[in-house]
Amino acid sequence: MTWELLLGASVFAATLRLAIPIALAALGGTMTERSGVTNIALEGSMLVGCFFGVVAADRTHNIWIAIAVALFAGLLLAALHAFASITLRADQIVSGMALNILALGLTTYLDYQMYGTTGTPADLVTVPDLHLTFLDGIPYLGEALADQNAIVWAALLLVVALQAFLFRTVLGLRWRAVGEHPRAAETVGVDVRRIRYAAVLVSGALAALGGAYLSLGVVHSFTDGMTGGRGFIGLAAMIFGRWTPIGALAASLIFGYGNALSTSLQSATVGGAKLPVQLLGTLPYILTILAVAGFVGRSRPPAADGLPYETEGHA
Amino acid sequence: MTQIQRPTTTGPGTERPAPSVRQLTFQWAGGPAIPLLSVVIALVIGAVFVLLSGNDPLRAYAALFQGAFGTPYDITETIVAAIPLVLTGLAVAIAFRTGLFNIGAQGQLLVGALAAGWAGSQWPSFPGIVLMPIVIVFGIAGGAFYGAIVGLLKAVRGVNEVITTIMLNYTIVFVMHWLLQAGPMTAQNALGTPASTPIGAGARLPVIIPNELVLFSRLHAGIILAALAVAFFWFLMWRTPLGYRLRAVGLGARAAAQAGIDPARHMIAVMAIAGGFAGLGGMIEVSGVFGRVYDGFSSSYGFDAIAVALLGKNSPLGIVAAALLFGAFVHGGAYMQSHAGISSNLVAIIQAVVLFVIAAEVLVRGLARRRGTRKPVEAIA
Amino acid sequence: MKRILAFSVLAATIVASCASGGTSGTTTAPAASGSGAPTGQHLKIGLVTDVGGLNDKSFNSLADKGRQQAQAQLLVDTSVTESKQQADYVPNLTKYAQDKYDLVIGVGFLMQNAIWKVATQFPNVKFAIIDGAPNDDSGAVKNLPNVANLFFKEQEAGYVVGVIAAMMAKNKVGAATHNTVCSMGGLPIPPVDRYIAGYQDAVKTVSPTTKILNGYSQDFVDQQKGLEVGKSHIAQGCDILFQVAGGSGLGYIQAAKAAGVYAIGVDADQAAVAPGTVITSALKKVDQAVFQTIRAVRLGTFKAGDNFFNAANGGVGFGTVDKIVPADAKAAATQALADIASGKITPKDTVQVK
Repeated sequence: MTWELLLGASVFAATLRLAIPIALAALGGTMTERSGVTNIALEGSMLVGCFFGVVAADRTHNIWIAIAVALFAGLLLAALHAFASITLRADQIVSGMALNILALGLTTYLDYQMYGTTGTPADLVTVPDLHLTFLDGIPYLGEALADQNAIVWAALLLVVALQAFLFRTVLGLRWRAVGEHPRAAETVGVDVRRIRYAAVLVSGALAALGGAYLSLGVVHSFTDGMTGGRGFIGLAAMIFGRWTPIGALAASLIFGYGNALSTSLQSATVGGAKLPVQLLGTLPYILTILAVAGFVGRSRPPAADGLPYETEGHA
Repeated sequence: MTQIQRPTTTGPGTERPAPSVRQLTFQWAGGPAIPLLSVVIALVIGAVFVLLSGNDPLRAYAALFQGAFGTPYDITETIVAAIPLVLTGLAVAIAFRTGLFNIGAQGQLLVGALAAGWAGSQWPSFPGIVLMPIVIVFGIAGGAFYGAIVGLLKAVRGVNEVITTIMLNYTIVFVMHWLLQAGPMTAQNALGTPASTPIGAGARLPVIIPNELVLFSRLHAGIILAALAVAFFWFLMWRTPLGYRLRAVGLGARAAAQAGIDPARHMIAVMAIAGGFAGLGGMIEVSGVFGRVYDGFSSSYGFDAIAVALLGKNSPLGIVAAALLFGAFVHGGAYMQSHAGISSNLVAIIQAVVLFVIAAEVLVRGLARRRGTRKPVEAIA
Repeated sequence: MKRILAFSVLAATIVASCASGGTSGTTTAPAASGSGAPTGQHLKIGLVTDVGGLNDKSFNSLADKGRQQAQAQLLVDTSVTESKQQADYVPNLTKYAQDKYDLVIGVGFLMQNAIWKVATQFPNVKFAIIDGAPNDDSGAVKNLPNVANLFFKEQEAGYVVGVIAAMMAKNKVGAATHNTVCSMGGLPIPPVDRYIAGYQDAVKTVSPTTKILNGYSQDFVDQQKGLEVGKSHIAQGCDILFQVAGGSGLGYIQAAKAAGVYAIGVDADQAAVAPGTVITSALKKVDQAVFQTIRAVRLGTFKAGDNFFNAANGGVGFGTVDKIVPADAKAAATQALADIASGKITPKDTVQVK
């Protein structure tokens, strides 16, 4: 077994590619749970982002419109969740589960109706990889980073921006206050409902950006259920990252690294024998459990997370 | 008026207004009208989707109902489909009652199935009176072991159970691939289906409906195990000191600790019990339906279980009712596709709408003009 | 009430916007997934998919294509049921048998035990199973007088496309400059590995110096995993990539497309997936098997027991050949197909390079 298979630049590049959709879902989860609303429909938002991004790319041949449509689709699904969980004070888990089933059913149905026989078109407009020429020739970093997709960089920027937003701005402070103690926040004049609505919508759009990354940035097509649970993994990464954007990214990278290893180690031999390919598949999950158990341990959610809130004097 | 009492996804330990015991126990007894009305409203909304797809909603629903309940055979099949959901529903519900979100029923069910399948094929010549208890114990123990890992990591290292259960769900999928494709449990099968060696006859749960009554019914004795599990859940939670303590932990770990209850120990216990329920579900599928473990035989029992538990308000009878509803969707949905030409994905969409509307029960209550009649919630007695 | 209205309007808007998108474009919608309850005196044919569903871009969708073709050409009434979980196989097959269908087709080897169970209970109904044979509860093959077992020689299709890959690698055609070819399965299960075995056998035979790699995406759905295996293979010098991984394999093809190298499709003709990248496809004509079995029932020539679909009867083969493939490579593949058909070549069915 060579070190190249464990730590090579190509493994790092793969780690980043595999981590980004999860990180975007985790980022969405962080934003919404910081405001006190649980949204497990991130998986669904991601999936509709995948699908409607592809449909829009196919119809309009304009990548900006395609991304906008993808984000809007994810946002719309999240809007249903916001309406249910904030306005109707519905059970947030059931609502989220319902929307996940809805997203899967709807995209599968429409995909079959629209592209059932042909598959999605081969000549889709897509999100390009950015070739960063200034990294050329730099050992390791050049290979690892020089040809990542534009959405990868957008996602990394979002992580930094949202970290600053949550912890360095007044609105961010209010946002977190709503998630910790909505009654107190309201007393000092914060509009709890408005912030929670905004948070849920933002979470849907972020997850959908992860979806657009998958379908338009990476694989350039849509297949049923192609998100494969990344939205749920994103929820785990959110908790692992202690409800902070940077933590969410770090957790996603650990998971992505395990995933990259499960591919690269297929080439490895131990004592002349290949590792069972099926067991390599467990790597990202076990690595995540070990990392959380070993280094992170207890993490505390926002105090009002998942609790419906009734405005004073309205009950 | 926080009506919906439920722990968060992401961590109990925070205190919140507690529902009354009466409310917890008899939520459904207090009002099956609301869930039923929800289903009706959902079907109306679902009809819009069916119409938009160019199909006749009445025909679709008639087929769905006929498919699920049209003949005695269909009724038994709806029950067969509901049985694993009852067990996984209990696994989710008991964790919820203790303030934990168990997304891991799926993985726990698979481990139980693998353990039961292994035991059942290990001593195939044993008579049923010996082998059946062994297989049941293995199924429960397998699931309980997998659940206990979650509780242990939470109690010792504080690892959030949502993380561990999601990760363990995926882990067992790949371990199962290995065990059944190229590992120690792989059957030497002529045509290479990834599956384990068939279990002995003594490990098979018999069909309990004779052919004279319902031709070719598959309804197996697993229904008895499921009924016992439901009774056990009720008895444990509402008739034993342990159940009282578990519920106390669920209502607030800190308060429970102040009352002298150690939340950590109870977390391990409850996750083991939850895993035991799901593991029994896996065992029932292996012994009652398949006769061996097929790779990937369960795609969604554990996930549907979350909806089942919450629809059923985490109450014993509510879970049974919700599982039957899901079973009807599974079995009736197939008929709706074959005989009314309705895409199975539309069935999924209708199912989603039903769930969504039931979740948004305030909407339904408003419609039923019962708003404001609810009493304020009381603290635990 | 206002809220109900608001919600239903919202829901309706979503769907309406999707639906209008679905009809205004250039793609044509396929025929409805089910055709309703058969009526009249026509033969009644029921098809039960496995858990992959109708839109799997693999054998389920091909089987359904065969069903639709039969519906259009053979004056039969057909119906389809998708199985959502493995426990559904028995009831889905049983429902058709109870309704006195003339032929019930199960798709996929996961249904081998289910088809045995149901076919023994309904001896007067004909059954067919794709990729398998009835298996009793002990796991033994038990052929039944009312069940046709439809088998494919995937290794033959794999061999033929392997010949094209080997010729291109050996002669360094176009972007294939590294004399390295590879393949990716979804999981190492027999119907997948038979394709790969034939492919590797051909490469070893035609071009012994060519390096061979093989990997698995560990998934039949997840495209990104397939893409990552593809990137890893390409980094190791691969420039012809053969996918045997359903939806996940589309990611493998995409990796080839992004790197400007070549890919080979599987099951169906996948030339349209990535024109210029997909040089050919290993075909497994499940649609033809379904169509011919339905026709056999209609003509009274239904044959229970093993029915092989192979090079000799056109049941397997290779698809559209891209223009980058030189004439000699295409000719060699055609010759190989003929040699397999005549028995001169017998492709291996076990994977050599894991």
